[in-house]
Amino acid sequence: MQSNLSEYRKDRGISQQALADLLGVSRQTIISLEKGRYDPSLPLAFKLAAQFNCRIEDLFIPEDL
Amino acid sequence: MNAELSSKTRWGRSRFGGGTALLIGISLIAGAALALGAGLLFAKLNAPQNPVFATLIMAAALWPILSVIFWVLLVDRNTVRGSLRNPEISIEGQWHDEAVVKVFQDLMIICGLGAAVFSFINVQASVSLVLTGVLLLTGADFILRYFLIKRAQS
Repeated sequence: MQSNLSEYRKDRGISQQALADLLGVSRQTIISLEKGRYDPSLPLAFKLAAQFNCRIEDLFIPEDL
Repeated sequence: MNAELSSKTRWGRSRFGGGTALLIGISLIAGAALALGAGLLFAKLNAPQNPVFATLIMAAALWPILSVIFWVLLVDRNTVRGSLRNPEISIEGQWHDEAVVKVFQDLMIICGLGAAVFSFINVQASVSLVLTGVLLLTGADFILRYFLIKRAQS
């Protein structure tokens, strides 16, 4: 899955660790999400979308669509 | 955030209140009491000729394990330093789940093959020894599987 998370995070000036702390997950989770190596669960995707005030589709793009 | 971090300790605090020292103290005392009880039972069933020695050896072996089990049951996970608020949606949770599935498959294969092989070979072994072996194998397999998955996905 392609991820725009890194761009959204950098636009807001938030570090990976700060975002991880806000969501209650590990920094490794944010790193893997940004690299597209981890497909987020629905609860995590909704939390991220709420954090950046955008839609889930703005953050993550399925590769087969 | 800093207040949250500073309130977390290496061993955490009890979910029923109190500090770290109280939690560790209760865990050690409860572990010792249960270990002593198990030691007495073991001595009565297996070593009636030397009950004091058997009780002490068994209790000493079980004390650390039972104390850790009591700590796990009593600790408020959110008060342990380094704990995550939402581990179930972290990537480590996914690695854990994938490793558990792999370990289950490995156990099915190992137990199935083992049962088939030992139906041809007559080997007598203690049930507790075999179960201990399976437990250690499961633990080692989980550690290996977890780190292989972590390395592949990091």
